[in-house]
Amino acid sequence: MRRPVAASLAVLGYLIMIVPILFVVATAFSAGRTLRFPPEGFSLRWFEAAVTYDPFMESLVSSLWLALGATALALLLGVPATIAIHRGRIPGKGLLEGLFLSPLIVPELVVGLALYQQLMIGLGLDNLTTLLLGHTALLLPYAVRVTGASLALADPAVEEAARGLGAGPVRAFVTVTLPLLRPGIFSAALLGFVTSFNNVPLSLLLQDREFRTLPVTMLDYVQQSYNPRIAAMATLILAATVVVAVIAERTVGFAKIFGGINR
Amino acid sequence: MSRKTALLLLPGLAFLAAGFLVPAVAMLVAPPGEEPTAVLARFGAMLTDPYELRIIGRTVTLGLIVTGLCVGLGFPIAYLLARSRSRWGGILLALAIFPLLLSNVVRTFGWLVLLGANGAIGRLLTSTGLTDDPPQLLYTPLAIVLGLTQLFLPLAIISCYSAVAQVDPGLDDAARGLGASRTRTFWSVVVPLSGPGIVVAATLVFAGSVTAYTTPYLLGGSSQRMLATQLFSYASVSVDWAAASATALIMTILVFAVSGVSSLAGRRGATT
Repeated sequence: MRRPVAASLAVLGYLIMIVPILFVVATAFSAGRTLRFPPEGFSLRWFEAAVTYDPFMESLVSSLWLALGATALALLLGVPATIAIHRGRIPGKGLLEGLFLSPLIVPELVVGLALYQQLMIGLGLDNLTTLLLGHTALLLPYAVRVTGASLALADPAVEEAARGLGAGPVRAFVTVTLPLLRPGIFSAALLGFVTSFNNVPLSLLLQDREFRTLPVTMLDYVQQSYNPRIAAMATLILAATVVVAVIAERTVGFAKIFGGINR
Repeated sequence: MSRKTALLLLPGLAFLAAGFLVPAVAMLVAPPGEEPTAVLARFGAMLTDPYELRIIGRTVTLGLIVTGLCVGLGFPIAYLLARSRSRWGGILLALAIFPLLLSNVVRTFGWLVLLGANGAIGRLLTSTGLTDDPPQLLYTPLAIVLGLTQLFLPLAIISCYSAVAQVDPGLDDAARGLGASRTRTFWSVVVPLSGPGIVVAATLVFAGSVTAYTTPYLLGGSSQRMLATQLFSYASVSVDWAAASATALIMTILVFAVSGVSSLAGRRGATT
């Protein structure tokens, strides 16, 4: 391909990716009453309107707790499972790993429907329990695949050497293997948190008045009122995401984090 | 299996079964208050119902268009980024990957501002005098295609990038040295060698597009139903479990079919 052709396609691609986000940010600073561009005047009133709007703030707290809980659970369950799959003497390792990765293949909305129908309607579980269960299952593939990738790089001989030098199995694992897994665990935690926090399809059917997540509250809001409050909330999320991105880039590196899950 | 191994493995498997595997299977055979055969019967009926077929057709068609656009735009971007020696390369790569951390809801809102009734594009068209009556842009297939392309382009870029980065730039130079033009080098050296990455990119984008909910909901509305928005409407508005489960089955089969085809293509690529 000639450079000018590739460069024009690249510019078009970046425009499609970036321009809509810039429009959200621009309208968030509007002084006007409706979501339009160019914004009418400049003000921070819609940011105030966003952070003082109870449904946004309550569901933000819900989303943060759910994402933290599901990420912690997925790591607590997924990291030991990864170690068993990679280091244990078990038949059908490929099949087992495939089983843990399977929530990545089935559409999330389908999983959400299954949980809503079978656990909430069928068994009468409350929506917080169902959401936590579903999000944890959804994040298990990240824990297994991403920490598995760094476990595959960690030479088992190093742990054996520690054992040979007199460390017990727990001590050898905690002081030798776990530090080698740290970047993988960090990547899995970050991907898991972000995935859970942003999730719509799995969470959509599992909402109720008491416990709703932020993305679903925002979708509902647009349906009812069309004003810059939603743009201001989106801009706040964007700003927080930039902070997360900078930390991630500094500690592990973006490409590495996403490379782990992407085969 | 040793007891230690089982202890490490079983808690995770139990969660996976309770939060995913068992409910997913039960959904197909035991919709609440319906016969066990209701889902399969409805599934069969949907495949001959013109209304359902139109939704399936729209979902697949838009999915294919988005896949073409994402690979067609994503591969050149990945190629330029992988071959760039300037420090801008890193910044542009970060800019392409960053949206993956950002909520689909936030990313999709921008199109409402751009394409909406009082949107930027409509106002631009009227203020420049090109037209007095701006065309309907929101709630069209075009809006869905734009929204989904924005959403999945980063995924296509990162898959293609890791493939192109593995192609030794020395091969480019060798082909050029042997007299191939830049265009020829691109098409007969770079593209074939990054084939598996392109297949992965296309699979991820297609599977994501045909199952996405947020974008068709916000940008397509009820006039441009896709499988995901239709499933939600069956489950929450009409509370028709058989129809919702059957739609879920169609979506799942679509995704499994495309992953199956792509892993076959990948295997053939590996042996030749």
